[in-house]
Order: sequence, then C-alpha cells, then structure tokens
Amino acid sequence: MNNDVIVEVRGLTKEFPGVKALKGVDFDIKRGSVHCVVGENGAGKSTFIKILTGAHRRTGGSLKYNGKDFDPKSIREAMDNGISVLYQELNVVDDLTTEENLTLGKENTKWGFIRKSEGLNKTMDIIRSLDDSIELDMPVDQLSVAQKQVIEIAKALSTDCSVLVMDEPTASLSEDEVRRLFLTVKKLKEQGITIVFISHKLSEIFEIGDYVTVFRDGEMIGTKSVPEIAGYDDAAGCPDTFDDATVAEACTELVRMMIGKVIVQEYVPSTSDYSTKLLEVKNVNNRRLKNINFELYKGEILGFYGLVGAGKTEVGRVLYGIDDYEGEISVNGKKAEYKNVIGALDAGLAMVPEERRVDGIFGQLSIRANIPLMRMDSVMNSGLISRIKENRLADKFMNMMSVAAKDREQAVAFLSGGNQQKVVIAKCLNRDADIIMLDEPTRGVDVGAKEEIHEIIRDLANEGKSIIVFSSELPEITNLCDRIVLMHDGNVGEIMKNQKDVDVDHIMSVVAGG
Amino acid sequence: MTGKLRLPRFQSQLPILVGIIVIMMIFLTIVSPNFLKAQNFSNILLKIGIYILIASAANLIMITGNLDLSVGAVLAFSGILHAYMCKHGIPIPLSILITCLAAMTWGVFNGFTVGKLRIVPVVATLGTMYMAEGLAFLIARWDGGTNIMLGLPGAYTRLGRYMLFGKIPIIIVLVVIVAAIFLFIEKKTKLGRFSFAIGDNRSAAELSGINVTKVIIILYALSALLAGFSGILQSSRVGLAAPNVGRMMETYVLIVCVLGGTKMSGGRGSIIGVLLGAAIIGLLENGLNLLGIEHFYQEVARGLLLIIAVIAQKNSKSVKS
Repeated sequence: MNNDVIVEVRGLTKEFPGVKALKGVDFDIKRGSVHCVVGENGAGKSTFIKILTGAHRRTGGSLKYNGKDFDPKSIREAMDNGISVLYQELNVVDDLTTEENLTLGKENTKWGFIRKSEGLNKTMDIIRSLDDSIELDMPVDQLSVAQKQVIEIAKALSTDCSVLVMDEPTASLSEDEVRRLFLTVKKLKEQGITIVFISHKLSEIFEIGDYVTVFRDGEMIGTKSVPEIAGYDDAAGCPDTFDDATVAEACTELVRMMIGKVIVQEYVPSTSDYSTKLLEVKNVNNRRLKNINFELYKGEILGFYGLVGAGKTEVGRVLYGIDDYEGEISVNGKKAEYKNVIGALDAGLAMVPEERRVDGIFGQLSIRANIPLMRMDSVMNSGLISRIKENRLADKFMNMMSVAAKDREQAVAFLSGGNQQKVVIAKCLNRDADIIMLDEPTRGVDVGAKEEIHEIIRDLANEGKSIIVFSSELPEITNLCDRIVLMHDGNVGEIMKNQKDVDVDHIMSVVAGG
Repeated sequence: MTGKLRLPRFQSQLPILVGIIVIMMIFLTIVSPNFLKAQNFSNILLKIGIYILIASAANLIMITGNLDLSVGAVLAFSGILHAYMCKHGIPIPLSILITCLAAMTWGVFNGFTVGKLRIVPVVATLGTMYMAEGLAFLIARWDGGTNIMLGLPGAYTRLGRYMLFGKIPIIIVLVVIVAAIFLFIEKKTKLGRFSFAIGDNRSAAELSGINVTKVIIILYALSALLAGFSGILQSSRVGLAAPNVGRMMETYVLIVCVLGGTKMSGGRGSIIGVLLGAAIIGLLENGLNLLGIEHFYQEVARGLLLIIAVIAQKNSKSVKS
C-alpha cells in the first residue's frame, strides 16, 4: 500500500440503463493534495464524485480509500468514513443563526429542550481558524456565500473529514470571495485535508491545484501534476504562481484534453445573405455577461461556442426575454423593447431550450398535442382546435423529422431522447419564427438523430431562416455554423468565420481564456 | 435516462369508475328496496348536481396543477348576497347579475394571487375562503339575523324550483349544459389545451409563449362564477340563504375531481371523470343513508375514500425508467 495515496481508483465503471457513464477509470488522489477534476458535461466527473461520496454505487472496478476497498452505500456512510461534500447548492438554513445551523439535526436535547452542545465549541474553533468574522449568533442570511461555505466546511470538518469534495464552489462567488475561499482551501490543506476540487474555471486550477484529472466521455484522459501541465518538468523549478501567458497556454492544453481530437467534417456554407441584418446585439451586460456584441444575418447559422459556464445559455436567455440586461438589442432594425418570452416570440424569435425535460417537452401530452403549442393558430379553425389540422400538422413534422413513435397519440415522455428533441424542435419550427435559437440541440441524442437534426438546421438556413446554435460540442459548431462566436467567462473572445480547415487549436486557446 | 416517466393512462381509469358505479348500484338495489325509486334518484342528482357544476371548473384548475379551496365560501357568500339584495328591493335578474360579478371578483383575486404573485394555491384560496365566508356572515348580520329567509320576494324561489317540461329540475338541465361546455373547452379550445400544458410542464408552457397567468386567472374566475351561480341556485331552491351552507363543499369538489382521475400535480383529468366521480360519491352517500348509517360514520367513509383515491392514482401514475 502506498501511504501517500488516499484514494486509489482502478478500472472503475458505472453503467446506467443504456449509458456507460464511466468506462473503466484509473487514477490516484494523493493525501493532503488539492486534486482538481475537470471535464465537460457528461464527461463522467460528476458520476465519479457521486460514487466516491456514496450517492451512486459503482457497477465495476475498484475504489480504495486508505488502502481498503470502499463502496459506500449512502452519503451518510461516506461521511462517517471521512469523505464529505461541499455542494454547489449550500445546505444552510437562512432563517437560523450560525449556531443553530451548526447543530441542526444533532441538537443535544434534554426533556425536549435544546442544550448547548460541547461539539459546538470544536466546530466554532474550526470556523474561527478559517474565517474570524463569523459570529455564532449571526443570522445566516446576513452572511456572504463564501461565509456560508465556511459554515458548511466547518460542519464537514467537525465530523472528522479527511477528504473534502468541493463541487464548483466558485460558481456563484465574486472575485473577492473567491480569494477568501482559496485562503480557506490553503488552510485546510495545511491541516492535512485532501481536497477534490471541481471547477469549470480552468485558471483556478493553477492558483490552488496540485494535481488535475481530466475526464472525457466517461474516460480518464490524464492525471498530471499542475507544474507538469504548466510546462515544468519537476516541482522544484516551478514557481509558486504562474504568469498569465503560462496559465493561458496550460488552459489551452487542458481544453485540448477535455475536448479531444476534433474531427472537422466537411463544412458546407449556408446560402447566407450578408446584406440583411436580422439581429444586432450591442454592449449587452448583465450579471453573467460582459459587453456582448454580435450580429446575425439572414440565412446564416451563427454558432456560440465555449466551455460550460462561459455564458452561451445566458446569451440565449437574454435574447429570449427571460433574463434582464443592459444594452441594446435590435431585431429587424427595430430596437427590441420586449421583457418576456411572449414579447420575444412576437418579435420573431423562437428558442429550443437547453433542458428538454425541464423546459421543452410536455411529457404527458401526445406528440399531436405538443407540436402546435407555440402557435395554436396553426391548428385552429374559426376559433376552435381542429383535430384534422392537428393530425395533419403532426404527420407533417413527424415525416419531415422522421420521429420514431408508435403513432402521433403517443405521450412524449415515452419517446427516446432523440425523438423527444425532435418533437421540441418541431414545436419551435411550427412557430415559423425568423430567428431560431437552439441551445444544445443534440445533447443526449444518438448519432443518427444528431445527423438528422443537423440536416434540418441546414435546410432551415437555406430556406432563409436565421439560426443561432449554442453548443458545447465543438464538432457540432464546426460542422454546422457559418460564423462562430467564441465565449469565455461571460465575454465574447472572438467572432470568426468558419471554413473548411478551421483552426481548432486557435478556438481552444480562445475559449480557454488565452 | 433517469427521472420519472408517466404512464399514459388517458381515459383508461374511466371504465374502472363505470365498473365501480355499476357494482355500487347492484349492491344498493339488493340491500335497499328504496334505492331504485325515482324520488331517490332525483335526490341523488340534485345533491351531486351542485358538486358537478362547481367541480367542472375547479377540475380545470386542478389540471393546471393548482387548487381552489374557496368554492364553498364563494357559494355561501353569493347565496347571501343575492338574498340580501332581493330582500332589499333589487330586481331578481339584476341581483343575479351583480352576484355573479361579485363572485367572479373573488375568482380574479384568486387568479391574481396564485397566477401572478405565485402564492401557493392552498394558502391563497384558503385566505379567500375565510374572507368570503366572513363577509357572508357580516351581510347576514347587517340584515339582522344569522341567515336570510323572511321577507324574500315571492318570486325568489322561482329559478331554483323551475322544472323544464314540468318535470326536469333546472339544476339537472344546467349540469348537462355546463358539462357539455367544459367537454368542449377541454377538447376544442386553447384555454383547455393550455390548462393541460401548464399542468404538465409550467416552465415549458412559459417558454412556449403561453400566457400562464392569464389562463390561471380565467380559470379561477370561471370556478368562482360557477360557485356563485350555484349559490344563487341553491338558495333560490330552498328559499333561504345561510352563510355556512358551503362548508366542506371544497372537499367534496376535491374528492369528485380526484376520484374522476384528475391528477393533483396537474396535466391529466377530464370532465367525464368529474361526472363519474360525482356519481360515485353521490351513490356512496345515498347508500350510507339508505342503510341508516350515522352521519359521522359517513364523514369517516368520505375521508377514507379521498385517501384511497389519491393512493390509487399515485400507484398507477408513475414508473421509473
């Protein structure tokens, strides 16, 4: 047994019905290190974390913890063994004080009255050692997110935790708070606690990470020490902090590992009309977006590409009237005044949302009932729903998109992911909007359906519709789009024209923040 | 794929309900000689008629995934208001009109709190329930009593006791008309289709450009209108308005809808189910009466029925994929 290794993963697999989420993963987590885990959505990092923390059971391979086989059946069991999680969604109760939060669920009671707990002092000591500005009697809702995280961390440490998993802890923090969190992380490390750190912000790895493991498509692509990634052969010659250029280059290297080899397929330009500007976005800012500028022309497919969290979806939400913004958006030369989805639809925009289950399908309703919902007029006859028109419409789209279903009366919840997506797209197309936005149009869709959906998108552009595709799959973007907006951390990094031999390396360095 | 998938049952629970009704009728025919008499059937129909009138709109509200607990109180409020106005010289047709508008105001208020302010429907409509009932008691007291009976004009009972062709009570006629209208709304109108869509997936409905708030306000207004008109009808039939007549009406309506297969979380239900659900509860009460079972036992039975109906629905509605 190697004493330096606290978690040893060998051939770990996890299968869900129909999906292999982890395909045999091997790597070690060193004791007392900050070990970063990165990968795009669906890469398998969350699955790995869930197995480590007892939320999922593995289906194969082994996982050793402190040299012993470890297969926790519940989060509780993992916690009792010293593995705790700091979730992205904090579990603090805002209405209670710090003290009440710390003792929640383990109140020391006598005759039903709560007594001060001895364990509390220990937890308080931990909190003070991490952040001395937190008082016991402070209501938690007066604390910042970073301070709330400290409370959660202290709760974890009070249960004698030796591995702390932090799931995107910086996602909702301000820059200042991120500094404070990193200080906390360093203090934890000094106390000998192993940190497993998940983040979509790659540059953070070079500030606090010791090791980084990259996941892609359920496989472990590489586990390297941070100096190694940054280009230093051994830790001795490596400086404490890296300069910006080194970080940018190293981030690009990580992105390359996360995305893998991009097979650039034949890209066929759409018959775009660059004299007709349909959409113009000028200096748009909001909580997540910084100074967004771009234009969309008639018959064009515009792609938004960036890593998870880069702000692609947020651009879509602004355009579709869901989120507030400052700045100017013009549709068809007219300033857009709309403030909600109905207004956006009236202005001529329609969207296929990212989360099809949550925002797209009406699962209990039939295919026939789903398709006309964005434009009921298409099935109305003198003010009433016409079953004949509904059937005709459903048949038209089911044919056009080759939806595989028993019949048009089948409830959409029972279709496969690809077919559900086709129904959602059909619903959107039936709106007959001039500008069609598709957020992750082929996520969770099988290869055949993916190709079909791409074909439909190309046809639409050639018919004169303007399309915006938001995708975190680079091949989808390079196959489909005429121009590509590269996003990084809420900014537009660059807008480039697509071409047959597009420079994939350049794209990766831009989305990595270089 | 993870997550919950729902079994498409559509109307498939309806044959079961018909079966239950047939079994109940056979059983009651055997054990009670009075069951098959015309007078008994007329009693059942009059009783469940009010439930159906109110449940038809309340059912659509439930299909959107919401709830209206204020129907009973709005019914009582409307009966009192109507009686009060008629007693104090306002012509009956005008009083009916004003009462209907007043009732709808309660509904629009519910729709606003639930649809726009997004207050939990149980709480929002409970608040309305107390307000409407409180006002009903106040109006009765302004009139000088606990209920309004003496001094009503002679024509007051004409509407409620009207018989079509001299033998069909008006409430039965109305039930047929209202049920037909709601069947139509359910199948043929945007309002109906949007109700199902909202109950199925509110977020997707909003992103599809459906004006969710508007739909919810219209439905609550319809529900209150029907409750209000039922109040007018009921008080006109008995020639008396009392502020407490609507108590427990909301639970009857709830039971009728749930028995009829409407999902409490929304997205599924039908007016046909409401009719059958009402028939079951009508037969149950009638049967227990015929068998001479004390009122309090009947309440226990009713509560049990509600829970059984919900459990039956829960067990058949979802499968893990």
